[in-house]
Amino acid sequence: MASLKRSVDPGTVGSNISSKVYVRSTKSGKVQKIVREVYLRQDIPCSSRLCQACLKSAPRDAAGRPTPFVLSEQPAGTREFPQGHYLVPDTNAFLTAMDLFEQSSAFYDVVVLQIVLEEVRNRSLPLYNRLISLTKSEDKRFYVFFNEFRLETYINREDGESVNDRNDRAVRKAVKWYGEHLARSAARKAQKAPAVVMLSNDRDNLRKARAEGLPACSLAEYVNQLKDGERLLDMIPETQDREVTEGKKKPGEHLYPEYFSMSKMMTGVKGGVLHQGIFNVSPYNYLEGSIRVPAFPKALLILGRENINRAVDGDLVVVEVLPKDQWKEPSTQVIEEEAMTKNENPDTEEGSDLVSEKERKALQEEVKRTQAQKTEGHPIPTAKVVGVIKRNWRQYVGHIDQSSVSQSSQQGRKQDTVFVIPMDKKIPKIRLRTRQVAELVGKRILVTIDAWDRDSRHPVGHFIRSLGELETKAAETEALLLEWDVQYRPFPKTVLDCLPKEGHGWKVPESKDDPGWRDRADLRDLLICSIDPIGCQDIDDALHSRPLPNGNFEVGVHIADVSHFVKPNNAMDAEASIRGTTVYLVDKRIDMLPMLLGTDLCSLKPYVERYAFSVIWELTPDADIVNARFTKSVIKSREAFSYEQAQLRVDDESQQDDLTKSIRTLLALSRKLKQKRLDAGALSLSSPEVKVQMESETSDPIDVKVKQLLDTMSLVEEFMLLANTSVAAKIYEAFPQTAILRRHAAPPKTNFDELGNQLRVKRGLELNVESSRALADSLDRCVDPANPFFNTLVRIMATRCMMSAEYFCSGTQAYPEFRHYGLASDIYTHFTSPIRRYADLVAHRQLAAAIEYEAVDPSVRSRGKLEAVCKNINVRHRNAQMAGRASIAYYVGQSLKGKETIEDGFVIKIFSNGFVVLVPRFGVESLIRLRDLHDPEPQAEYDAENYVLKTSGSREVTVELFQKVRVRVTDQKDESTGKRGVKMDLVDTYGR
Amino acid sequence: MPLDTSSYSLALLRVDGRRWNELRRINAQIRTQAAADGSSYLEMGHTKVMCVVTGPSEPFGPARVGRTGAGAGATAGASGGEAGVVVSIVVAGFSSVDRKRRGRGDKRIQELQSTISSALAASLHTHLFPHSTISISLHVLSQDGSLLAALINAATLACVDAGIPMTDYVAACTAGSTSTYAANDESADPLLDLNHQEEQELPGLTVATLGDSDRVAVLVCESRVQVSRLEGMLAVGVDGCKQVRAILDRVVRDKGRKMVQEGTVQKGVGLEDMEVD
Ligand SMILES: [Zn+2]
Repeated sequence: MASLKRSVDPGTVGSNISSKVYVRSTKSGKVQKIVREVYLRQDIPCSSRLCQACLKSAPRDAAGRPTPFVLSEQPAGTREFPQGHYLVPDTNAFLTAMDLFEQSSAFYDVVVLQIVLEEVRNRSLPLYNRLISLTKSEDKRFYVFFNEFRLETYINREDGESVNDRNDRAVRKAVKWYGEHLARSAARKAQKAPAVVMLSNDRDNLRKARAEGLPACSLAEYVNQLKDGERLLDMIPETQDREVTEGKKKPGEHLYPEYFSMSKMMTGVKGGVLHQGIFNVSPYNYLEGSIRVPAFPKALLILGRENINRAVDGDLVVVEVLPKDQWKEPSTQVIEEEAMTKNENPDTEEGSDLVSEKERKALQEEVKRTQAQKTEGHPIPTAKVVGVIKRNWRQYVGHIDQSSVSQSSQQGRKQDTVFVIPMDKKIPKIRLRTRQVAELVGKRILVTIDAWDRDSRHPVGHFIRSLGELETKAAETEALLLEWDVQYRPFPKTVLDCLPKEGHGWKVPESKDDPGWRDRADLRDLLICSIDPIGCQDIDDALHSRPLPNGNFEVGVHIADVSHFVKPNNAMDAEASIRGTTVYLVDKRIDMLPMLLGTDLCSLKPYVERYAFSVIWELTPDADIVNARFTKSVIKSREAFSYEQAQLRVDDESQQDDLTKSIRTLLALSRKLKQKRLDAGALSLSSPEVKVQMESETSDPIDVKVKQLLDTMSLVEEFMLLANTSVAAKIYEAFPQTAILRRHAAPPKTNFDELGNQLRVKRGLELNVESSRALADSLDRCVDPANPFFNTLVRIMATRCMMSAEYFCSGTQAYPEFRHYGLASDIYTHFTSPIRRYADLVAHRQLAAAIEYEAVDPSVRSRGKLEAVCKNINVRHRNAQMAGRASIAYYVGQSLKGKETIEDGFVIKIFSNGFVVLVPRFGVESLIRLRDLHDPEPQAEYDAENYVLKTSGSREVTVELFQKVRVRVTDQKDESTGKRGVKMDLVDTYGR
Repeated sequence: MPLDTSSYSLALLRVDGRRWNELRRINAQIRTQAAADGSSYLEMGHTKVMCVVTGPSEPFGPARVGRTGAGAGATAGASGGEAGVVVSIVVAGFSSVDRKRRGRGDKRIQELQSTISSALAASLHTHLFPHSTISISLHVLSQDGSLLAALINAATLACVDAGIPMTDYVAACTAGSTSTYAANDESADPLLDLNHQEEQELPGLTVATLGDSDRVAVLVCESRVQVSRLEGMLAVGVDGCKQVRAILDRVVRDKGRKMVQEGTVQKGVGLEDMEVD
């Protein structure tokens, strides 16, 4: 037998085995007793470039490569440690101040102990991941020292010692060893050893460390020694800060009820007494939340501060249903946090009542109203939050509430407490302590929530960084990207290294013997063209059609062959899978793939040869599919049209060239395809879409236009849908368990209850939601001869009742669940935009494997991995949409700046103290409150049954749902949110 | 809970502190039960097994010939001219964390039995004992990965103790890879001697070789792994088998020397070849 290939001589590498000492440690789990061996060793290096001793025994991997040492030979010094220092933070330091460690101005040369890493991982996976990426960053010099495996630093837990105490002791032991070890190494080189400083916010640990003579600092003490300490001080979490400096808690009443213990909640949920779900805040009323739980068909209401009990939008909470006599109707009133809590003082809030007088009054009015109409009301079960399972806290963009800033802090640099108002209205205002109020007022800032204690009315957070002046384009754009968690940093070098080295010079190889041509169809002689929005640079798709001798047509959809350039599992693929999608803002595009690929090598630009992945059908003149085939190909697009250009060309009878004819064929076929889809029950939904026109020089917005719909848009859409459906069927056939598909669940009927009732009461129309077909038909019947926009209005409102479509892995759902409700298709996926969507790229890989073009990569066959990919891209997809919409809203506001226009609008929602008007011209909606109608505020009578609000007194108007009104649209900088937004005033109610 | 196997790349250390090419502590004894023909006890880390060998012996009655293994264990080479090797495995309920009982009919246990049976039959000189049975009874006391390898090693030792002539030691160990199949990491390091956690999270195989040679007697791979990584894993596994063989050999020689010193056995001609000094 041939001898096996061995990369290293086992004799030399394995030589340290004999010197090993074994100690077994027993670690107890919850119920099971798990015994794990720990092999203690002396060849774990300190990884300091100062040290020669460790270099000799440095570990090597199987290929014989040693791991390079991380910690700098001459680390930076501070006031207290002028000779330079390494930091050894404990678990708490990372858990509470990860942002600090990610700073680029300080926190270099950090030793992350294994025990600390383990504890961070147990406490928070996201923080663990951030810490791991710090250890991988080359310039931050974070080194993971496996103290639990090194003989000298391993310690046994003593009798009566708690796990935490033991771990703290392990940290101190490691600090001590490092100090002594480096002193020896430095002495050999006749140098001064850097100090090894323990960082902790635990007073007890700090005290013990000092008693043992170890250099130790609290976060605040350490940051104080740094150059830009003042700025960083704000990032030290509030709660910890208090613990270290004051260490005592004020006695007194708690404002909020205590949370149940985890075990009590778990037992309760299991027993059906308590319910678990995601807490959502009403966008119109910050004191009203709702939660969907499996046990109730409709969402449970959670009303008032005390019942909400510190839950924040998105948290996973456990609730208890309140007794039936406390059930209520959902609020018909608009309650805004700014208006209610405007005058609170951030400093003295600790002692005040939980529910302020104003809030109490607002709620009482609610109760009065419900009691008044008790007979006909339909109270909804209400609940109170009894505990939070998982916080959904993230970083929030906001700005400092000017009114919460005291005069003295505007000048001095003493620490001050202020409120930050998050951009997201569903997030409560955050109490923040900072020393730089003067600089931060008027800026967009990024903050996080640290804690929300029982005796604090508002959550407490800390400052992370400033994005710039409010209302500057840069700050607002970054704010938007942060709010929607869009990765907008430039691509790192590792990603750019994956690009073809020819750069823009890359070409389709001339010789067909080149491996690039393997199994590729040569479609260069076909009359292919692309049709996209004006100025589109990342051209994903191109089309062609030609008549066949048998009277049928050959139609091809050609998609950029991105999977040729982005190979699975390299850095570029990993980055793309995290980004998930390209994000389009009004003035900016944040790419999923580097520019070189997106706008050049992959983009199906005209006049050049490009690799493509083609779907080619034979269609009958009635647009029935005779057959479909899939092939990798080389194409040469003849022209890149804009929708408008293509439309003009098609409409121009004098154009009789083959290319134009083929577009006409496509157009005719696409109409038939569309009719078939509509016959099958596809919904034609609507959302108010507008386009912002920019001035080309200054890129300032000058006008807003409603998006025009052209036949050519529908042409492209129909064929993309057809390609996606065909590909979905093909990859599902090849990979029944792991195909990446897209589904759109049928909306629960209760979603339409309100809209159905509104249509019935106001217009005598019935909304049939039995099936998508029935819904489509009944939407078609929703017309108002006097008001052509009414149908669109109903469609917009119906769209908001829909579920959102989602990517999934075919093995996770039963076949009937694959259905795409909106498109009325049994199976669907995304295939046609691989440059800008990661799902499409995965579908490309699966299709390539399905047609045996290439071997299946394990990553597109592993169900677990695909599920994770789907989960991420579902979130990214949604965020990208929201960011895009927010960007349009911002620019619409900017374009209105200083202007005043009168526009038609429609009432889409009515409250007892206001109503919401949608202005289609700008695609914006805005709340008009009673107090906006006139000063003093008019009296109002609200008829909830008939959706009518009738005012009297200072101004008399009657407003009802669906009504057309004239409004004055102006821009207004909302002093409280700092957002420039649209403000509407009622001008005329058309004769009412 | 400690970190998982993904932390290997941080400092080239495995979940228990070993390097990629290190075996766990192996502790073995032979002649643990004086009454048995051959017996052994073996620990590979926390995997602990016991073995008792009976035979080669003539079957008790005609009725049992030929169907010995059918009920209780796996038989190899039971045709008339050679001794049959019957292996039966009992897994103690307390041996694993979840305390799951495994019955005799358990498919996994049957598979282990037949693998061990055929591996040993190839090394034992079964042709010397026609019409007889060598029955190997294995007891699993504690499980922490590499169970098949430990069972093979224990059985080899017990057979040596029983004095059954054999070509050489059948020494076994496991090998794995530092990253999962789905990660498709070309630069993954091979791993030697997987513990339970690594077996759960990473691809792995069990390999046994005959003596000092590269001759593979057993190769079992039940997880998905890229073929490009297999060669490295196999090479590490085979090297591991040689280390295991050296350890088993030392156990046998130590026991032999002790027995000579204690006078349990006379120093004979054969023993002089064993370099007892
Ligand atoms: Zn060192």
